Amino acid sequence: MKKQKKMNFNIILGCILLAITLIPALIGLVWTPYDPQKMDSSLKLAGSGIRHIFGCDNFGRDIFSRIMSGSGITVMIAVGTVALGSILGTVIGAFTGYFGGLIDEALMRINDVALAFPSLLLALVMVSLLGTGKYQVMLALGIAFIPSYARIVRSEYIRIKNLDFVKAARLAGAGDLRIMFVHILPNTKTVLLSSVMIGFNNAILAEAGLSFLGIGVQPPDASLGRMLSEAQSYMFVNPGYVLFTGATIVMIILGFSLISKEIG
Amino acid sequence: MEGLLHVEDLNIEFHDHIVPETVVYDFDLDMKEGEIVGLVGESGSGKSMSALAIAGLLSRHDMKKRGVIRFEGKSILDCPREELRQLQGDEICIIFQEPLTSLNPVKKIGWQVEESLRIHTDLPPEIRKQKALEALKEVELDDPQRVYDSYPHELSGGMRQRVMIAAAMVGNPKLLIADEPTTALDVTVQSQIVELLKKINKEKKTAILFISHDLSLVGQLCQRVLVMKNGYVVEEGTVEEIFDHPKESYTQKLISAIPKCEGAQDTVKNNPVLAEVEDVCVSFTKRKGLKKETKEVLKHVSLQINEGEILGLVGESGCGKSTLAKTIIGLLKPQSGRVNTKYPNTQMIFQDPYGSLNPTKTVGFIMEEPLKNLTEMSEQERRALAEEMITRVGLDPMYLSRYPSELSGGQRQRVCIATALMLKPKLIIADEPVSALDVTIQAEVLKLMSDLHNELGISFLFISHDLRVVYKMCDRILVMKSGEIVEEGNRSDIYEHPKHTYTKELLKSAGL
Repeated sequence: MKKQKKMNFNIILGCILLAITLIPALIGLVWTPYDPQKMDSSLKLAGSGIRHIFGCDNFGRDIFSRIMSGSGITVMIAVGTVALGSILGTVIGAFTGYFGGLIDEALMRINDVALAFPSLLLALVMVSLLGTGKYQVMLALGIAFIPSYARIVRSEYIRIKNLDFVKAARLAGAGDLRIMFVHILPNTKTVLLSSVMIGFNNAILAEAGLSFLGIGVQPPDASLGRMLSEAQSYMFVNPGYVLFTGATIVMIILGFSLISKEIG
Repeated sequence: MEGLLHVEDLNIEFHDHIVPETVVYDFDLDMKEGEIVGLVGESGSGKSMSALAIAGLLSRHDMKKRGVIRFEGKSILDCPREELRQLQGDEICIIFQEPLTSLNPVKKIGWQVEESLRIHTDLPPEIRKQKALEALKEVELDDPQRVYDSYPHELSGGMRQRVMIAAAMVGNPKLLIADEPTTALDVTVQSQIVELLKKINKEKKTAILFISHDLSLVGQLCQRVLVMKNGYVVEEGTVEEIFDHPKESYTQKLISAIPKCEGAQDTVKNNPVLAEVEDVCVSFTKRKGLKKETKEVLKHVSLQINEGEILGLVGESGCGKSTLAKTIIGLLKPQSGRVNTKYPNTQMIFQDPYGSLNPTKTVGFIMEEPLKNLTEMSEQERRALAEEMITRVGLDPMYLSRYPSELSGGQRQRVCIATALMLKPKLIIADEPVSALDVTIQAEVLKLMSDLHNELGISFLFISHDLRVVYKMCDRILVMKSGEIVEEGNRSDIYEHPKHTYTKELLKSAGL
């Protein structure tokens, strides 16, 4: 008989925030009220109204539609970034932590060098090599995120590989790869999950940052960072633009933070 | 007339689940000055919770306490934080089970012993130091000045526990709560600590509340005993009453679970040799800066295990027992010497059933793992064998789909044994298989192991620090000290005519 834990306020709030932001983002992939690319000079920087509830941007495009499709792209980049970073980081961390020795020394020193650069700077360099665009941003950020995951996973492997159940698995005839990925990996899930959640936030912020600097997602594609960078020039003419875009970013990140805090 | 401590109707509830969980029910206790009261019970019986409540250390927000705790007439439960602080560390002191974690690793011993004087008195530093040194001397530490200037990691487990006692005693408390103070220590050290507590009680008239799961220790030390089970005090009485005429069936079960050293027959067998260790040396090398430090753990160890016997291996922690076990099974490679065993005919059971089962896998997965890796059996055959083996160790096959966290310590150890049986081994190496379990469960697991020995003819290498358990289980016994086997012989020889001084010392501290 399992006892039920009390429902947690943070998780509920986190889920609500994510539902408000991510469900429209999902719908935005297939349908938006207006074409997010369609310009209308008569509606330039129009405020909130019944037809355009968040108002229109400097080209007269519907901001609500653009936020819907923009958060879709932003979240997609974040998912791709975290997937790339955490999977490769986990594999590297697993090998270095489990085997130790020379392979550990070699890979971890490279890792230290990579960690010495801020990940955004690393991504900047990579974007300038790969070119701009959403897939390039995903790849650049993903690679920049690998070292931090490798470190976290490595320390978990070092801790767990000396526990008795790993010895028991070895006595049961399990090979190294089986021990690493069938026996040890599920035991890193609490640490890995919370760092994936935090990584998700960092990825969203990093994408927003890169696009804000103008080297991320390219027009006419919308992304939250790109929109925020445009909106700041019209902060006083149409404050709704910067407000709604910024609020969306805040809500997504707050939602993930609240959930990751509880499961971590 | 109320004594030193008066506890009435103490109830402790946890409120972190939807249904509140009561861990202590209607706990009553009266202690006079200078009295030693024992509190026994298995893990989870609520004995530590009651003790922490008495010391005023239970202050979690999701916990409710009801009842009365009065220390010298002062109510502990509803007394303000500041007043409680006056009592704690001065009038009431507590020492914990694990002396390693209850000392702060980054502070020197002297600083920690002086802490309560620093908080509760205005004594100048020189006097504080003098008092601390006196306290360290009183707990019979050899070189108080050196200990005073040491860090905790420089001391052994027994010394750390002495330091804890010194730190508790430095302010001359009226009540000392000792929560399993000897559980983490070796047998020889255990009896020394018990002697020390006795001496302190006699000289300083400090009342002691001694919490333990070890009835024989309680019998040596205490005047009065409370037996707890599932949060209730089931029996209370003087030591003589409890030991000679236990009323409750639970107390009787506890007392009968103490392994007794009588009535076992020597069965000398000259069976063929199953496993052999010849002149094995193992050493570990640690890099300390530029220097390499080599520590020899096993020094020229030789032994044989015959078919159908239970070979006991006794010795204190750190003597190399576990290293020897790992070398025999092949988890460690010896630097020199020869190990002759037939893997996978040899399997191993680990000490801590909480660490040796992967928490993310079901029991069925864990048990079938060796078959998956080493045999060509189909899924149905594997499942059938797992069901057979788990029934063999006395568990229902429905446990196969459970996770280890849903099982108790005893059930976990049964699963470990069942897993070891999966490959139909000839020899099982059991490394302290019952040390982490409660006494009554210990007896059950030991019974299971001797049944397996009798019915399936499996040999065991039984490693333990508990001489009573070894006596009950083993035909032949090896005594190990600092990496060497110092004595070897049949059970009756070792227990009745020990030759080596170390064996004699071990037997004496086990009260045999």
